[in-house]
Amino acid sequence: MRNLRDKTEPAERAVNFGQFEMNALTSEGPERSKPRIAKSLSGPLSEVRRGALRIAPLLIGVAPFGLVLGAQAGQKGLSVVEVALMCGLNFAGGSEFVAIELWRNPPLLFLIVGMTFLVNSRHLLMGATLAPRMRTLSARRASLTLFFMADEIWAFGLEEARSRDQEYATGQLSLPYYAGLAAGLYGTWLISTTVGALVGPRVGNPQVLGLDMAFPAVFLVILKGLWKGHKAAIPWVVSLAVAVALHLSISGSWYVAGGTVAGLTVAYLFPGQKEC
Amino acid sequence: MLRRWDLLTILGMAFVTYLTRVMGFWVLRRHTLGEKATIVLEAAPGCVLICVIAPVFATSRPSNLVALGLTVLAATRLPMLPTVAIGVSSAALLRHFFG
Repeated sequence: MRNLRDKTEPAERAVNFGQFEMNALTSEGPERSKPRIAKSLSGPLSEVRRGALRIAPLLIGVAPFGLVLGAQAGQKGLSVVEVALMCGLNFAGGSEFVAIELWRNPPLLFLIVGMTFLVNSRHLLMGATLAPRMRTLSARRASLTLFFMADEIWAFGLEEARSRDQEYATGQLSLPYYAGLAAGLYGTWLISTTVGALVGPRVGNPQVLGLDMAFPAVFLVILKGLWKGHKAAIPWVVSLAVAVALHLSISGSWYVAGGTVAGLTVAYLFPGQKEC
Repeated sequence: MLRRWDLLTILGMAFVTYLTRVMGFWVLRRHTLGEKATIVLEAAPGCVLICVIAPVFATSRPSNLVALGLTVLAATRLPMLPTVAIGVSSAALLRHFFG
């Protein structure tokens, strides 16, 4: 863990999102131990397989998230088609949890789209770190590749490309390997959220069953994955305090935007020492 | 079933998400981001997530507060599924017995 993290660029290190990827980066995949010759002889198909195998252990952790998300979306009145569309076109779990939590009928379009942008703004850094490793790709291929750049896929793709770094050449992203990663995660996400959406509306009164606590629990686990020390968490605390105050004092969903802006202002004005 | 506002919201989400994925690649690779901008970008997801669940913290109902405390405690040391199980069951039980 230590070794791997020390070698990462600051920007690369900064954007780890969620704990799966953190854990997964530390574990050595079974394919890694194979001799080098086998790798160089392998065709694109076995590269796809290698990617799929690399991400497979992670999918066991992803599927429950998808089920919880889909079930909650179903309870909020989204149809199965809508859930599948959201997860298939957006393909960014964190922002989908935020959207469903804020969902009303009809939804507040600008609030949800704005928060989606903020939650996913970390992709900006991730895309920038991939750029030097995608030099050989055509614009069209690069655009398609980037559509699937979820946190876990980014982390594994980058890790694999970096393993082929040479003294004067930056290791380039292996597209078939990346496709294997993407197929595994995309398929799992789409299927688990859809299944959740089918099951969700059949569950009884969420309040009585305590199901309204499921989402906060998921959010807290995601926050723990984002944790980078006490100082980096100060903006969060400010955000929470302002959001609670706004929620208690004015009606509507202003607390989300207000609390976020307050936290980001603090982050901008008092950029503390990074602790990682 | 597909409603118009639902569809528009979903398409809007997909659009801005894709924008964040390609913009870093096409724009930021030529300009390096300042330290402050990086710090703000890093803080953003956490700020949004905590604000979205702020209403849960804004309660004076004792059973909700205790359940929330247990959930926070669980989240700091357990994986996702056990945390959700503890959050949901503690909320259900506390509400049932203490109102």
